[in-house]
Amino acid sequence: MRVVIAEDSVLLREGLERLLQENGLDVVGTCQTGDELLELVRREPPEVAIVDIRLPPTHNDEGMQAALEIRAERPDVGVLVLSQYVELGLAMKLLGESADGAGYLLKDRISDVQDFIAAVHRVAAGGSAIDPIIVSTLLAKRRRDDPLTALTPREAEVLELMAQGRSNQGIADKLTITLRAVEKYVSSIFGKLGLPTGCGDSRRVLAVLLYLHS
Amino acid sequence: MGASMMAGPHGTATACAPRPLVVWSIALVGCAASVVSVSLAATFHPNSGAIAGEAGKPLVLALLFGWLTSAYVGCGLIAWWHRPASRFGPLMIVLGFTIFVTGLARAANDLVFTIGYAVHLLPPVLFAQLFLAFPTGRLRTPLQRSMITGACATALGLSLFRMTLGGLGRHNLLEVVDAPGAAMTVLRVQLLVIIATCMTAFVLLVVRRAGAGPPLRRSLNVLIISFAGGLLMIGLHLGSIVVGAPAVQQIRWATFATLGVAPIAFLVGMLNDRLARSAVGELVIELRQEPAPADLRDGLARALRDPSLTLAYWLPDFSRYVDSDGRPVDLPAPDSSRATTLIDHRGAHVAVLLHDPSLVDEPALLEAVAAAAGIALENGRLHADLRARLDELRGSRARIVDAGQRERKRLERDLHDGAQQRLVALSLELSLLEGTLQADPAACSTIDHARNEIATSLEELRDIARGLHPAVVSGHGLEVALEQLAARAPVPVRLHVDMANRLPERLEVAAFYLVAESLANVGKHAGAASAAITVARIGDQVVVEVVDDGIGGADAERGSGLRGLADRVEALEGRLRVWSPAGGGTRLRAELPCAW
Repeated sequence: MRVVIAEDSVLLREGLERLLQENGLDVVGTCQTGDELLELVRREPPEVAIVDIRLPPTHNDEGMQAALEIRAERPDVGVLVLSQYVELGLAMKLLGESADGAGYLLKDRISDVQDFIAAVHRVAAGGSAIDPIIVSTLLAKRRRDDPLTALTPREAEVLELMAQGRSNQGIADKLTITLRAVEKYVSSIFGKLGLPTGCGDSRRVLAVLLYLHS
Repeated sequence: MGASMMAGPHGTATACAPRPLVVWSIALVGCAASVVSVSLAATFHPNSGAIAGEAGKPLVLALLFGWLTSAYVGCGLIAWWHRPASRFGPLMIVLGFTIFVTGLARAANDLVFTIGYAVHLLPPVLFAQLFLAFPTGRLRTPLQRSMITGACATALGLSLFRMTLGGLGRHNLLEVVDAPGAAMTVLRVQLLVIIATCMTAFVLLVVRRAGAGPPLRRSLNVLIISFAGGLLMIGLHLGSIVVGAPAVQQIRWATFATLGVAPIAFLVGMLNDRLARSAVGELVIELRQEPAPADLRDGLARALRDPSLTLAYWLPDFSRYVDSDGRPVDLPAPDSSRATTLIDHRGAHVAVLLHDPSLVDEPALLEAVAAAAGIALENGRLHADLRARLDELRGSRARIVDAGQRERKRLERDLHDGAQQRLVALSLELSLLEGTLQADPAACSTIDHARNEIATSLEELRDIARGLHPAVVSGHGLEVALEQLAARAPVPVRLHVDMANRLPERLEVAAFYLVAESLANVGKHAGAASAAITVARIGDQVVVEVVDDGIGGADAERGSGLRGLADRVEALEGRLRVWSPAGGGTRLRAELPCAW
């Protein structure tokens, strides 16, 4: 799988490159600025671009801008944004109208190698990877009379993992339960929240996120 | 309280009024001279044709001569008496007597004729000098002085030379040869030089008054107009002689009449100045009503009859002059069209008046006004001082806030680019190491433990960084940043941000902290079920409102949280208002000025 990295810290860039290579991913290019990233993506179209949200020259929103541009220009390229802080507003901005091929994770998540590599694969394949902090933030602000309170603890857990972008199989692995059980929880959750059932993995991420964000 | 001229050419302390004996003697001599003038002119038979262009009704001329002599001598005496420091009075007296002496050219006696004729072209030059030298009696520039000196030499010296060439009849004692043609040529040269001098003086007068700007006192205006008119008429009269125009006699009468107006205008102006003293009385009454410092200037302007007056207070701590709002005022250059009067109170410099230079001629009025305004001026100065300090304080508070913000931003950036990145990289290294140590479960567990420690450190660092500076605000704007605040709030929050463009960073950061701290207060004290945040641009203000449905009763003065918020808002020259009726929720509204 072809990956490009945009990260201005040498330590992290090289560490990330090694990590990805050791896990069988093909890093076709690295760069330090948003402009370089756009050029790299056009020259060596990857399946996924891993982007630091703060890039030179101003370290303000260059990484985010580049990520949004790639998403608009090359919907086939997955974009995984990494940041020292995760913000709900930024997540909603990145996802826009679709969670397809988009990821937004705290930088710390890199060191949880299995999960991180799985997230990279998911985004590359058109799925999504939303940081658990975002999801828990959304879940925390629910009102007391919310339909969410009708969920069982297990269902809440499944909802959280679903909102992070995990597939049913991923949720089953994470919770060490059967795929059948996950499917049962999912349809029960959708029923309780009044969400339309039967959409694909990434569509349902946005549906759940928007539901939580409303 | 004392007033002193700084940039007026006036004001020598040594000048004193002439003795009464001197004044009366001059007056007496002047009267006699007028009588002699009138009788000489009235009995004069112009058959000799000695005086250029002299012809026609002798009585009219006699009366005009008598009037000019007595008016200039009389006015000169009054001016000298009231303003001994000015040379204007003596100059007028000299001019009056010179006019008398020129009249002697009508005498039948040879010596008297010779003396009178020798000076008969001098008066036009002296008029030009007098008018240019108003009000001080001194010419302003070396150029003016050389022009008048040259014209005097032409009028007097060339006349003496011309008299040696004859052509003036039998009374001329100086005649050496009889060359009337040459004498005529010299006369033309003299007349042309004098015409040029008078016209130049006319232009100088007009330019000077125009340069002084419109706020000119009315009596002074009339005076200057009569000066300019006199010079114009002299030019016209002498010109008509040169070209031999038909109505020379009538033009001469008109010229004399015009020149005769100047002393009347001068006296009226003096009378006005006397009346002006009563304006000082009005000023005293006005000052008792404790006017605002701005009114003090207006009152002084009225009392001094100078609408262009500027009042500037001296602030020793700032070493500069300021207006009543504390804004710096620059004093004009000493040679500019504005005069400067310094005002002291109890030995300390208090203020300065920038005024029309004609006021320099009225030191007594300035002194009286300065004395009347004494304590009010001192008060005004204190006001101005306070305002200047307030401005400075406001400026320095804004600079301190900005500097603090810059420093915090720099620290956040250092943390982000330094410790945070290194810790993430370190954690990553450990993960890679863990991959190679799969066979050693004990090592793996140690590494896992270390990684958790790093994760905790990163979390703490993130909190510190966020407290230092909300990087997401700088990077992505207020609206994006507020989403997270709203989502993390202890109660459900409705967020409404209505802004087309990004705001200046200091405002965005301030608004962010305002909302963050308000929401924290809502969580701690309000007992609210929900809250609403509105941020909107209204005119040239950014309005931030945080409303909750809690118990209310928040006190802006007692709660240190609210006080801190108010400080933050006031540092940006904004205003924070809090409505918090018991049981009625709390509404907090911050208005931040935003010119962008």
